[in-house]
Amino acid sequence: MTTRARGAAAMALAAALACNQGLEPALAPTSCPHGFVGVCGTVSFIGQVPESTAKVFVVAFDTFPRSQNDLFKFKPQLDPTILPLGGPPFFYTLQLPPGRYEWLLAVWQKQGPPLSPTNADTLLRETGFYRDTGDTTAHGSGIVIVNAGTSTDSIDFVVDFTNLHRVCDYFPPCP
Amino acid sequence: MKPLGLPAAVLLCWGQALSAQGAVAYGTVKAIDGKPVRYAQVSLSGTTVSVVADSFGLYHFPGLPTGRLTLRARALGFKPALETFTLSSGDSLEVDFVLETSPVYIPIDVWTAEPTVVTAAKRSQLLDQAVTSVAVVSDTELARRAVSTVDEAVDKAPGVQFLNGQVNIRGSTGYVQGLGSRVLLLVDGVPANQGDRGGINWDLVPLEDVQRVEVVKGAGSSLYGSSAFGGVVNVITRDISVGWHGRVRASGGAYANPPYDVWRFRDYTGGREGLDVTGSYGTNLVRGSLTAGGWHSDGYREQDRQNHWQAAAKGVWAPGPATRITASGSWASDQYEVPLVWCTRGACDDRGLTYQPFKIATQDTGTFTRSDKGYLTALVERTSSDHLAWQARGSWLRTRFTDLRQGADDYGIANRLGAELRAVSRPTAGRVVTVGAELARSDVRTNIFTGDTSSTDTVVGTHTQAEFAAYGESEQLFGRARLTGGARVDYIAVDGGGLSAVVSPRLGGVLTTSRGAWRASLGRGFRAPSLAERFVSTTVPPFRVIPNPNLRPETAWSGELGNATRLSAALHADAAAFWTEAYDLIEPSVNGSAIQFRNVTRARLAGLDVALAAQPPIRGLTASLAYTFLYARALASDSAPGGPLAFRPKHLLTLSADYQWRAVSVGGDFRYASRFERVELYSNDDRVAEKVLDLRASLEQGPLSVRCRLANALNYIYNQVPRTLAPVRTLSVTLTWTY
Repeated sequence: MTTRARGAAAMALAAALACNQGLEPALAPTSCPHGFVGVCGTVSFIGQVPESTAKVFVVAFDTFPRSQNDLFKFKPQLDPTILPLGGPPFFYTLQLPPGRYEWLLAVWQKQGPPLSPTNADTLLRETGFYRDTGDTTAHGSGIVIVNAGTSTDSIDFVVDFTNLHRVCDYFPPCP
Repeated sequence: MKPLGLPAAVLLCWGQALSAQGAVAYGTVKAIDGKPVRYAQVSLSGTTVSVVADSFGLYHFPGLPTGRLTLRARALGFKPALETFTLSSGDSLEVDFVLETSPVYIPIDVWTAEPTVVTAAKRSQLLDQAVTSVAVVSDTELARRAVSTVDEAVDKAPGVQFLNGQVNIRGSTGYVQGLGSRVLLLVDGVPANQGDRGGINWDLVPLEDVQRVEVVKGAGSSLYGSSAFGGVVNVITRDISVGWHGRVRASGGAYANPPYDVWRFRDYTGGREGLDVTGSYGTNLVRGSLTAGGWHSDGYREQDRQNHWQAAAKGVWAPGPATRITASGSWASDQYEVPLVWCTRGACDDRGLTYQPFKIATQDTGTFTRSDKGYLTALVERTSSDHLAWQARGSWLRTRFTDLRQGADDYGIANRLGAELRAVSRPTAGRVVTVGAELARSDVRTNIFTGDTSSTDTVVGTHTQAEFAAYGESEQLFGRARLTGGARVDYIAVDGGGLSAVVSPRLGGVLTTSRGAWRASLGRGFRAPSLAERFVSTTVPPFRVIPNPNLRPETAWSGELGNATRLSAALHADAAAFWTEAYDLIEPSVNGSAIQFRNVTRARLAGLDVALAAQPPIRGLTASLAYTFLYARALASDSAPGGPLAFRPKHLLTLSADYQWRAVSVGGDFRYASRFERVELYSNDDRVAEKVLDLRASLEQGPLSVRCRLANALNYIYNQVPRTLAPVRTLSVTLTWTY
């Protein structure tokens, strides 16, 4: 191999090495990832998913909503975890800032116009939430603590597509 | 030759060119010491006709028209020289040139070795006389790169980076989903940012019609007003030659499939194909051209198909040797699927992965946009005397878009009417004065930028913004120094309300020394909020995006110190340190369940630009390097903490090399942009640096040329903006026939 050819080969190799390490397939976690800050757990599904389903997602509230105006004070605001529409138990991760959370739930969203506070009662249903062992209250009581720099695992709960609750069920009367 | 100025020279020669055939000029091109200048280029001003002197400096220029002509001789390392004379039919005149050596770097196009003329100061000037940094993408580079759109060509210019279609010059804009560009787009000097969103439609002008692109870096508001906050991109369309000419450009290509089977999203290879046809005819009096074409793309990811149709026309009438009237227009229509963001776990058939970059969320299926845009301009240019030239123009830009979404459609129809009167005077030797006035009126009728706060999508609103401006700039030559000072005052009125005024001064200078040409400038930039930023009223689930009619203009002080020099016979360098202090930047701000554009950020963008162009000893080989270091920080204030500005890479590097052997050329570009320190939205997603290698090859044989381009040759998978896959490896072949 001539000097020029070796030089060209070296340059091609350097270019190839420089250009790898792009994005690669990342397997979904089966346990709380190292360094992750938030909540992890397993969601189990009951019932048939309604045909009008847009999506189902998980969010958390610092304090249990006191009124309809509090409904949009959930976390994370921008990127709630999307759940599959039924199927086998699903390991979820929900990124949350450190703190105390009083209500962690799955929300079913109906197909329709973009979601806003005015149409929340039409489009959203509560479809399952985390509750502490032994809790029997109607709306559930499940306190989740996320400590700084760590994750909280085993926050398991059930999504029941046969038992959807409207917003007005929590803030009656229903029209 | 008296300082008629380039426009006058062009008009003079054009008006007289080809009026008769058969005259000849001949002679020698020598240096001041009497030695011949080998292979100097002698050209007829105002035309593309030229001859090359031989190794003894002798040239012979047959077939010249009669009348008063100007010949220009130029060679690398020498100042260009002009000779003006009169030829009669059958004349054979000896015209000798003596070239002065140039101790300074003469800005050249590295491919054609011709001095570069730019219009950054609203008049023609040599590149090394501009007080701010200017990068030029010539038609030769456009052709070599075999790109399909203007933004693909500009993307590799030094200090320039596109983020999902949004242009950044030295990190000016970041990424705001196409809204509120801090860079002004000009088409032949006419502002072309959208009237409603302030963004840029890069497909407004067919690439076939583009002669060159000038990228002016740093605040340019002292001449160009709003939007020239971070720089100006001036797309200059082709002149029309005398006689019949035509060009047919056919292209085809294919997108690489995902590099991992688990990312596969379709069972065929996506393609792209297009056809453009251009015809023109010109005489001494009138000239016209028409371009039409379109292309289809399957896209490189799910729900990414696009159809594009376009037409453009240009007409020129020269009723006298010093008068030129130009009318031009363009129309483009795009219908395209919108991939929005890629699929994350659970949002589609994720195959057990945390994200699927080639797929979209199931709920986003069916999103589609139709976008139509067009412009018309009329321009009158007249050189009244050796000392005065003026021009007047009117323009109309219209954009219309319809976003089809699940459950709700958005639309907007916007117009931007503009007019400008400008004069360039050379009252005394070494002095140039540019003055002008500019008017613009933008309006939008829409169901998304309504200003309505009732959170309903059925409201349709109309808003207007009027801008009135006057500007002036004077340049004075003092020995080896050129000093420039000027200012522009802009008055802005929204919906017929009270006027708010912004004054944008600028001081600058260029000093020619034995160590190159030094340039320095300090100026103010500003950007008026777009109508979209003021009046947007929509829903981005789960947020309401609410209007803010009280937004104030963003402002900045921007300065730079630069040097352009020839380090050796084969190496040219241009370096600049820049500094921008920005105030009242308009950024989206989340407050509870609402998003609102607010004046929030006080920011600093500083850094260093270096561009090297080399012609190594290997004949036919050229190479260049462009590097930008950028320090972009939001400064802490009472309402917000400091930190890195989002979507700004600290390091931006472009390496290019081309080798030409006879009719064949091969080359490539390598672009590296460091990983963003900060992004908005989804900040915990994986993100990587940009490392993209583009390769190209071409063969030219007579009227035919074949160009191949392999963009992202190594199929490097990355994203620049959140959850939006950047283009994968794309092979394209372009066949061009030119008559």
